Amino acid sequence: MIEAFVSLADSLVGPFDVVELLKDLTDECAQLLDVASAGLLLADTAGVLHVVAASSEQTRSLELFQLQRDEGPCLECYRTGVAVSIADLNEHAQRWPQFVPAARMRGFVSVHAVPMRIQDRVLGALGLFGNAVGSLNGEDLRLGQALAHVASVALITGNASADQAHVNQQLQIALDSRVYIEQAKGVIAEYLNVNMDEAFELLRRYSRDHNVKLTDVSQALATRTLSLELVAGSRQSSQPSQPPGS
Amino acid sequence: MGELMGSSGTLRAELEAAMAGAGGPVDSADRLCHACVDLLGVDGAAISFVRHGVSQGTFGSSGELSRRWDEYQFTFGEGPCLDAVRQGRPVLARDLQDPEEVRWPAFADAMLSSGVRGVFAFPVRIAATRVGALDLFRRTPGAIEGEVRHGAGWASRLAALPMLELMSADVDWDVIGQGGGWTQLESLERVEVYQATGMVQVQLDVDAAEALIRLRGYAFAHDMTISDVAWAIVERRLSFKPDDFVNDLDAPRNHPL
Repeated sequence: MIEAFVSLADSLVGPFDVVELLKDLTDECAQLLDVASAGLLLADTAGVLHVVAASSEQTRSLELFQLQRDEGPCLECYRTGVAVSIADLNEHAQRWPQFVPAARMRGFVSVHAVPMRIQDRVLGALGLFGNAVGSLNGEDLRLGQALAHVASVALITGNASADQAHVNQQLQIALDSRVYIEQAKGVIAEYLNVNMDEAFELLRRYSRDHNVKLTDVSQALATRTLSLELVAGSRQSSQPSQPPGS
Repeated sequence: MGELMGSSGTLRAELEAAMAGAGGPVDSADRLCHACVDLLGVDGAAISFVRHGVSQGTFGSSGELSRRWDEYQFTFGEGPCLDAVRQGRPVLARDLQDPEEVRWPAFADAMLSSGVRGVFAFPVRIAATRVGALDLFRRTPGAIEGEVRHGAGWASRLAALPMLELMSADVDWDVIGQGGGWTQLESLERVEVYQATGMVQVQLDVDAAEALIRLRGYAFAHDMTISDVAWAIVERRLSFKPDDFVNDLDAPRNHPL
């Protein structure tokens, strides 16, 4: 459990990337807590929710489903700012007539949603999905909430007063960077004829080697202000066994 | 001030409903602007189209006066709309008469003599590329908050749809004009669509917004969902070649600005 905080705290030192941090958060939750997976919804400046991270594809699609159908525990958690704990979804089929069957179809039978908040403002909701009936034990729920708090603070990092304009700007950056990273993966994948995972690795490596945020590299590639050759070059330099010109 | 809707879900649906059945992208943008006036308690609304940092003009509006207000920004080369597009965030001027409001002196003068006190600009995005802004005008000073603020954010997202049509050459308005606005937007916000957009950018040497427009055009032409086309691109079953597109998409056709 300590490791989760150490890992999140470590990532806050030096240039860190909001999207990576939130993805780490969902992965940590899925590993540490007694749940199958986790997903994170974040609101943009207009209060429109977006899926920013998920520990599995099924969770991502279930979070999206809630947004599309405008119902579900994570939405309710965001709107009320209060944690929603559902030990057995079957008992709530009338409350969420569309969400419950969709969750069951993906193998989930319990859901716990905790709010992400800064002071009075709710930023989004962290959804924890289980494939067995039962409440999350108190300690797990507290840990999930604590991780969500750390991530919320990280989101607005660098501004202790957390004024509205700054929070809005940080949220928009987080939401945009999610788009840029995927676009940049596509740009690299096409240019170097590699798959999306390899493309992401190259992005990540370039960002670390040059101490630039992943978001910034991605945006530069997606908006075509960074030369692809540079990122491609970082692939070559990492393969010293390959003789030049081969 | 117009009557505000009780719940934000209703407001969201009302804005979408206002665009249904439009006769084309300009009509659709006009309808959205009218809905902003009716639902958000503002006195005027306009949508401007800005491409590659250069204004292409006002594209939809709630009326002649709003169109003129909007165009002042391009006349003077300054204003909240241009700032919103440049900075990628809402730019809100609650009272142009406030002595501390010094951001756009020439624009503010013109607006004040025309009786406008508040201007609120929200960027419009396609594939994370900023293509314009939704501008709201009010004759009375004061911030826009709560429901109205949310409504304006939703409206600026919906405004992306007529923009997409405006830039699309090979898409039949009769087919797409019917679909639900939110459903259409959500279909574009998928991981595979973002990835395919990046791949098409390289294939055609275009920016992200144009890549998305071409993905979408292909989907309509072949009666596929945009997600299907995106998967075909990502899995390399489909690849676009520059020769496939003879028209320059930068120049909107058939739709007067």
